[in-house]
Amino acid sequence: MRAFTALEMDALTEAFNLSLGEATAAFSAIVREEIELSVPVVEFVSRDELACRLQSGQAGGVEDRLCRISQHFHTGDGFATDALLLFPEQGSLEIVRRMLGEDTSVEQITELEQDALAEIGNIIINSCMSSLADLFGSEITGSLPRVQSSSVARLLEDKSPESLILVARIGMRMSAHNLSGFVLFLMDVPSIDHFMGQVSRLFGLPEAPAEQP
Amino acid sequence: MKCDSLLADCVDTGLILLDRAGRVRVWNRWIAQRAARPAAEALALTLAEAFGAHIDPRLALVVREALDFGWSARLSHVLHPMPLPLFQPGGERSERMLQAIDVTPVDTDGERHCLLQVHDVTETVRREILLKQQARQLRQDLQRLSRAQAELQRSEMRFRELARQAPAGIFEADSEARCTFLNERCEQLVGHKLADIVGRPWLELLPAGEEVRVRDRWLLAVESATRFTEEFRYPHPDGRPLWMRAEAGPLRDEHGHISGFIGTVQDVTEFHERASRNEFRANHDSLTALLNRDRFERHLRAAISGAREVTDRLALLFIDLDDFKQINDTHGHQAGDTVLKVVASRVRRVVRCEDRVARYGGDEFAVLLVDAGDDLTLASIVAKIAHAVALPINLGHCHVRVGCSIGVAVYPDDGADPHSLLIRADQRMYGAKRGEL
Repeated sequence: MRAFTALEMDALTEAFNLSLGEATAAFSAIVREEIELSVPVVEFVSRDELACRLQSGQAGGVEDRLCRISQHFHTGDGFATDALLLFPEQGSLEIVRRMLGEDTSVEQITELEQDALAEIGNIIINSCMSSLADLFGSEITGSLPRVQSSSVARLLEDKSPESLILVARIGMRMSAHNLSGFVLFLMDVPSIDHFMGQVSRLFGLPEAPAEQP
Repeated sequence: MKCDSLLADCVDTGLILLDRAGRVRVWNRWIAQRAARPAAEALALTLAEAFGAHIDPRLALVVREALDFGWSARLSHVLHPMPLPLFQPGGERSERMLQAIDVTPVDTDGERHCLLQVHDVTETVRREILLKQQARQLRQDLQRLSRAQAELQRSEMRFRELARQAPAGIFEADSEARCTFLNERCEQLVGHKLADIVGRPWLELLPAGEEVRVRDRWLLAVESATRFTEEFRYPHPDGRPLWMRAEAGPLRDEHGHISGFIGTVQDVTEFHERASRNEFRANHDSLTALLNRDRFERHLRAAISGAREVTDRLALLFIDLDDFKQINDTHGHQAGDTVLKVVASRVRRVVRCEDRVARYGGDEFAVLLVDAGDDLTLASIVAKIAHAVALPINLGHCHVRVGCSIGVAVYPDDGADPHSLLIRADQRMYGAKRGEL
């Protein structure tokens, strides 16, 4: 697989930034409170590298659990991706409970809280997907969100080690709460090439990096 | 489609299928009951037409996204409590049913549709509220408990430190008098470690006679729930005979029953020794250790009142040393004291233990013979005394001899009261002295 140029990455960041802006608006309307989603940092990494990075980035150590909201997307012409939103479980629960107006903490995520997390993930993932759909100029069908929570170590176990992951790191700020999460798009190699072709075309970039001087 | 609607009517979820134009194609029985509108009326209407304009705007938005872009969405109860005007079947129409809605694109017959699955989460919400209440309650209980525990720990530590530093022995025992706690001082006092006597009533450590007496007192205290205060003899395992004083107050269990006692133990041996020394001094002559006059007369009175009942004969003997003054003058007062001590001891040896011997004053002695026997026996005792007194007395640098005059009065023959007996014996003693002269 070819590497991506700085220009291409910039273009991608720009696309995500626009769509996250819309997600922010949708959110604020729902919870009637100002919510800020930071400008995402976009990069490609392998599964294992990401797992490594998630573990080392954990403030509370590897014991901390992550909450994972996932949706599957596919197009009619064979492009498929799993979109994952990862949040530290504790922080995301705090936000949901704030929305619920609850201060009572129960050790486990309740059914309703899980549903609320699903919707939050749904809004963020759908908005990111809208920008990808724009790039593709074609329709991407998505499944309902699914919420799981697991330790960092086991989080990506069900994904193939070869899969390359498009990672958009976003921060979410709501009142006193600061939450940093990741939006991941896991694609197989054909999907990635297909995807980059669309990126280059949309932003009028050269089809492939110039090999000759 | 007939079969589809049959299936749709059977599920316990609200199902609404919208076509590309957003018009109702399926409106299952679940929805019909809760929207109070039959399928026949709702078919071909838009959501807004079917429900009126009371729909959560986000629902309209995600339905549009599903139809136009093929995206799925979930409307959670938390963020959208009641997106559709649905009501519990048979219930009041004043409050909307609590819902969660899944919106998914469905492609059938080559055309894009949108499926709404509506879930009634009323029960879930009720359950979770309950769960959180319980969690809150539990947390409060836990906080209370840990506060109480901390307080308990503090007071236990306080007690332990107090018990450690206390100069008195502190003990705790159950109602059967089995020790459950001894502080260090108490272990030293009784000469046993708690571990060695645990499970055994402490009363068993007492000598047999004391054990019975003190056990009665203990049982009385348990029964009447009063303070236990007792002094008793205690043989220390190292051999010292001690006197102990135990004072304890009752402890009650949660039902108010006496569960045991907690209190102090003190070594009162010295106090007891001093008291008995004082008592001895009060009743005895300090030089000869014989009874003093006071005490002797008390014994005499007691013997007479006792004798009246058993018709015994009592004999009262007055002994006066002859020429004692001369010994004093010749050999000094110290020699005189020695003579008095020797005489006292000899008279004491001649009579039986139950007889009383007293130094009546100066060189005068008195003897009370209980159960004096007949005149012959009495005469032989008097002779023995006279003989014993008359034996040579070693003064260290020489021997001296001292004689004595003895007057005898017998109860009831010579008098029925102490006074007349004393006078009689005194007269006879002087008679004897004069006879000698």
